[in-house]
Amino acid sequence: MEHKELNLLNEALGFHNNNLYGRFVLVEDTVDTTAAFVLHQILKHSFSSHPSSSVIFLALSHPFSHYDRILRKIGCNLAAQRDNKRFFFIDMLMLQFPDEGKPNDVGFAAVFEKIESVIKALPQDNTKFVTIMIDDISFLQVAANGSSNDVLDFLHYCYTLTSEYGCAFVALDHKDIYLNEEKPAIISEMEYLADILVKAEPLATGLAKDVHGQLMVLHKQHGISPVKIHNFHFKIKENSIECFYPGTKI
Amino acid sequence: MAESICRSLRDGALEGELAPTLTIKDSLASPFSFNVFSHILLQLSSQKSQSHGIVIVALSRSPSFYADFLKNKGVELSSSNKWIHILDCYTDPLGWKDKARKSGNVNVVSDQISLATSSYKSVKDMDKLFLAITDLGRGLVGENKVRFCVAIDSLSKLLRHASLQSVAGLLSNLRSHDQISSIFGLLHSDLHEERATAALEYMSSMVASVEPDHHSSENCLSEKNFTQGKFSVRSKRRNGRVRETSEKFKVEAEGISFASISAEDGTTVAGLLPKVQFNLQLSEKEQIDRAKVVLPFEHQGNGKPIQIYDGRRSLEESSGEGAPISRCKNEDSALGEIIYFRDSDDEMPDSDEDPDDDLDI
Amino acid sequence: MAATRTRGSSFSRNVSTVTSQNSGLKHGPNGTTFLSSGIPDLDKILGGGYTLGSLVMIMEDAEAPHHMLLLRNFMSQGLIHKHPLLYASASRDPKGFLGTLPAPASAKEDKTRDLTNEKDLRIAWQYKKYFDPQLNISSNNESYLCCTGAQQDYCNDLDLRKPLDRHFYSGMNVGCVSIQDSPDLASLQDQCAKFLSQFSRNEANISSAGRIAIQSFCSPQCKFANMEWHMLSFIRSLKAMARSSNAVVLVSFPPSLLSPSCSKRLQHMADTLLSVRAIPDEDKEMAKLLTGYQDMVGLLNVHKVARLNTQVPVILETTTFSIKLHKRRYLVLECLNQAPVDGSSGSSYNTSGSCSGSTKAGSLDF
Repeated sequence: MEHKELNLLNEALGFHNNNLYGRFVLVEDTVDTTAAFVLHQILKHSFSSHPSSSVIFLALSHPFSHYDRILRKIGCNLAAQRDNKRFFFIDMLMLQFPDEGKPNDVGFAAVFEKIESVIKALPQDNTKFVTIMIDDISFLQVAANGSSNDVLDFLHYCYTLTSEYGCAFVALDHKDIYLNEEKPAIISEMEYLADILVKAEPLATGLAKDVHGQLMVLHKQHGISPVKIHNFHFKIKENSIECFYPGTKI
Repeated sequence: MAESICRSLRDGALEGELAPTLTIKDSLASPFSFNVFSHILLQLSSQKSQSHGIVIVALSRSPSFYADFLKNKGVELSSSNKWIHILDCYTDPLGWKDKARKSGNVNVVSDQISLATSSYKSVKDMDKLFLAITDLGRGLVGENKVRFCVAIDSLSKLLRHASLQSVAGLLSNLRSHDQISSIFGLLHSDLHEERATAALEYMSSMVASVEPDHHSSENCLSEKNFTQGKFSVRSKRRNGRVRETSEKFKVEAEGISFASISAEDGTTVAGLLPKVQFNLQLSEKEQIDRAKVVLPFEHQGNGKPIQIYDGRRSLEESSGEGAPISRCKNEDSALGEIIYFRDSDDEMPDSDEDPDDDLDI
Repeated sequence: MAATRTRGSSFSRNVSTVTSQNSGLKHGPNGTTFLSSGIPDLDKILGGGYTLGSLVMIMEDAEAPHHMLLLRNFMSQGLIHKHPLLYASASRDPKGFLGTLPAPASAKEDKTRDLTNEKDLRIAWQYKKYFDPQLNISSNNESYLCCTGAQQDYCNDLDLRKPLDRHFYSGMNVGCVSIQDSPDLASLQDQCAKFLSQFSRNEANISSAGRIAIQSFCSPQCKFANMEWHMLSFIRSLKAMARSSNAVVLVSFPPSLLSPSCSKRLQHMADTLLSVRAIPDEDKEMAKLLTGYQDMVGLLNVHKVARLNTQVPVILETTTFSIKLHKRRYLVLECLNQAPVDGSSGSSYNTSGSCSGSTKAGSLDF
């Protein structure tokens, strides 16, 4: 049961028909319940989905060694993929733009240029199977000294790659940061853009050892196809994610 | 009404009048303004109207998206170049890609988009944007008095790139341009200050808002809110009146469909008499009587010892009294007793022991 | 079934061991290394201590100085292990703070303490068989075992009333910085970078570990206290620097002085997130509700435990602990024992016996 390939999360994300390409997946979490594992799952899937797929990973919160260890446990060797030129790890842990007053867009434009040049360096046929992943949007805003506009411009450019090349764009942000803001520009605009929205929340009854939280996966797909909502609980293990409907856990 | 907005957009502007302008606004609770936008776009392109061309200012959707969309809806793309033109502010709004291309020797991927597209690379400049839009329109319909229509797919994006004042300036310039028959654009109202939303509503002759069906904020992400909702329109009429109408909409795979609100839905007929056969209301007397009833779990203490109805007494005393729950007099508790027969002798007599007497504290 | 079996086996495999060559460090799961927080109970709660390369943040209570207890023990334990230390605070003379650090208790005192502890502990006789001293936080048996003998043990029992000997902090490897008068954090960031560069993580075996302690990070007397983005980017880069070095960065900050979103951002940045709270004085209600209320000085909440190199979160069975000063000398953390008043809360579930055991199982689950 644990190693069933199609668990609820994969099903909810639509892995069975490979349809993350050309989509924007926004993952939201809170201090109590982290959703980083969703990124790990997508990362693993992106490598196994297609022989010529590749991933561009913009790391803001954790170094390569962290992801390497985690992915190795769920059966994916990032170091090998990096050597095969299928995994491009852009270390932005120390990314910081100069202080207020000066425009940040030059810095973000440079980062974007880096991403685009990676895609362009790929063989023509492989550009369709690129996944761009950002592991923490909120850190982008810190790096930009709080300017949400610059972050949104950058994210928009990343988003255009989904239509230009058919890439998948996956980003993680923390919902609870914005709860007290009157008009939380970044998270709302991202939610409008997102084709698939994944929300991780703690259980209302508090943390438990057997249920680590609940996930809600919402398919919007530009409103062209009907909306689907999946709700389920999850438990994170080292080598897999156990997903189950509320109350069905033995 | 969706139909009536499309009609007034098609009818266009009279000579010397401002062009009719529609703002479609939505919120995250029901984010379907784009469905409405594309619905109107389709209506305008499929039926005869005053305008002979449409300029789409694409900020939030790619030109290829529009090409696919129109093709799926059965619009002939080969002939569409004569009357539709996309101003692409989506692919490279700030000129980043352009800069990269100039500096490096990267080859430009030419998208095979069957729609006429011009790219635009400095969204922050509203005056230039105005010139670009009108140039494109003129290119479609020619220099004479033929009019065209402008569709802006995200006023919110514009507001992010430029000040409210300059966006309002752009809109007002477009409205008073004598070759523009109508304008429509969409706005995500929860991204902006109230002032910005109000200013854009002030600038437009029609405001359509997409709202969730139920305003219960308890769980705004229920599946129902993502398939249907309320569509209400306030239109300022020429005679100075305001007409407000609302409809239901449903989002399906084929697109968005509108239906008038039927009487059973109750949103408009809330004040009318309920159409239920049963009497759910209480008369005044009934209400007073109901308030007098003392429920068994309520504290009955008025000096007397407290009695708790245990379900047994009514067997013995149900003869003369009324409802057993309203009694609160001091009864003789000796009347109740428990007669217990042990089922068999090997049953342990455990129930009458203190379960805690082995505690050695 | 399968899950419990694997857990059982991995538990025994992954038990942290004190490395012999480097004092004050021990191996944890997933290739991490722990160093001690200076509080035996906290080490146990966290599954071994603070993880090298992690950022530990303590949310201060606006009214109580309990974060100082955690800071002092962290710093003092590091000095005992000869870990280089960088201490920054908003006071004018941060060096003076070193004089208030606690010193390790002598072995003799330890023994007497342990005996009294055994005497104090009273449980119903029929539960004695369930009582496993190895798993019991309040008994302090285990900490006693690892703290007897030489000073070079992983975690010492620190006596809060005995000042640390001067020779521990008069050496070259202790730096003190006052952040009160600096206009921004650039100079502190430079000093942290310089400090951390000594411990950069490149060779396989760890030669030495560093500790950075920043007290009351955004306290209002600092000149940069209203530059929230500046402070956030400082903490972010501090975290990134810590990640690539063998050091632990401990920062305490008062969340009530920050905007809610800024405080949430800091909480997200933290690898290990703790908070301390004051408890009301002479509160009759609370005294009835909590056993041992008289000895408590405050509460400690564990919000997040560092999960470097793993995706599995650490779920503690209980996250609130009472801070007690045993004999007014030793810092002790205990699970809250709620007197069975309202029946609804599973008070028996929270007994101290089960909690530390589960802590370990959670963090070492494979």
